[in-house]
Amino acid sequence: MHDVIASYFPVLVFGVIAVGIAGAMLGGSLLAGHQKPYAEKTSAYECGFEAFDDARRRFDVRFYLVAILFIIFDLEVAFLFPWAVSLSHVGLFGFLSMLGFLGMLTVGFIYEWCKGALDWD
Amino acid sequence: MTALVFYVFATILVLSATMVISARNPVHSVLFLILGFFNAAGLFLLAGAEFLAMLLIIVYVGAVAVLFLFVVMMLDIRVSEAREGLQRYAPFGAAVGAVLFAELILAFGHWRIAPAIDAVPHLGQAAGETNTAALGDLIYTHYVLLFQACGLVLLVAMIGAIVLTLRERPTGRRQDIERQHARTVADTLELRRLPLGRSVRELGGFARPTSYSEAAAKGSYDPHAPVLSDESRGE
Repeated sequence: MHDVIASYFPVLVFGVIAVGIAGAMLGGSLLAGHQKPYAEKTSAYECGFEAFDDARRRFDVRFYLVAILFIIFDLEVAFLFPWAVSLSHVGLFGFLSMLGFLGMLTVGFIYEWCKGALDWD
Repeated sequence: MTALVFYVFATILVLSATMVISARNPVHSVLFLILGFFNAAGLFLLAGAEFLAMLLIIVYVGAVAVLFLFVVMMLDIRVSEAREGLQRYAPFGAAVGAVLFAELILAFGHWRIAPAIDAVPHLGQAAGETNTAALGDLIYTHYVLLFQACGLVLLVAMIGAIVLTLRERPTGRRQDIERQHARTVADTLELRRLPLGRSVRELGGFARPTSYSEAAAKGSYDPHAPVLSDESRGE
């Protein structure tokens, strides 16, 4: 256990410093700033006229499609990483199995390319 | 030191998980969920599972949290409406939670790692080997069928997402790069020699070659459309 802490100690220090700086900035502005909120100040401001409607409106479903396609290729990369680390151990069979995996995803990639799922008009 | 780090991560994890279900704003809930993911990754790291910790950050924080944000924004939740049913649904939620908790206690009360686990030949981790390498040695050779099944699942997810969400929108504004590159001046521009003192005003200010309406995407250009008059253009 102790070698995990030791090898990731710089990351831990970075995390503590990041939390400290973020807390200092937020807490400092909270403590030092004058805060006099009233209804006009806290309401939504929209170029001088009354706000038309809520900011929580429906998004186009295409954003969701892009996010799903991103997750899929993210997972593909997650599979590539241990393969790259242990490529010298798994031999030709491991290499070919990864080629089959990539080939399957390439079929999907060609499909989405030809369907125009990556286009944004 | 290890115990201190563990308790810091575990406390923040439990607190942010509580905030996920009690925050008023659903976007804040997702942000607390991301904080919870980071702390769970820290716990994985403490337990020695480096690869799982990095995977949690790459996949869950990088991709799934973004997906959750899109879902929250797409669902069109009004904050006040979402709070209305809290009193009414609280008993049902508590009942479901109690059942799940009892199942977890039953499962972990009898959880036992198989005593002969060290004797399984392919599961051994060599001394000094990172667990990324230990996983990589197994996934691509011993568990190759499961690995290929993962690829199939991802393929099905990709095609399913496209089939469910992609609709044809005939707006005619899609970019066709090959056609753009093949375009020449003669396709789009027509030079005319006009008598001195007359402009192209009666032509609408400009003239397109007749081939343009054939080359343009269907429905995006109408050669017989009424031309803007000079008054409406503010001359």
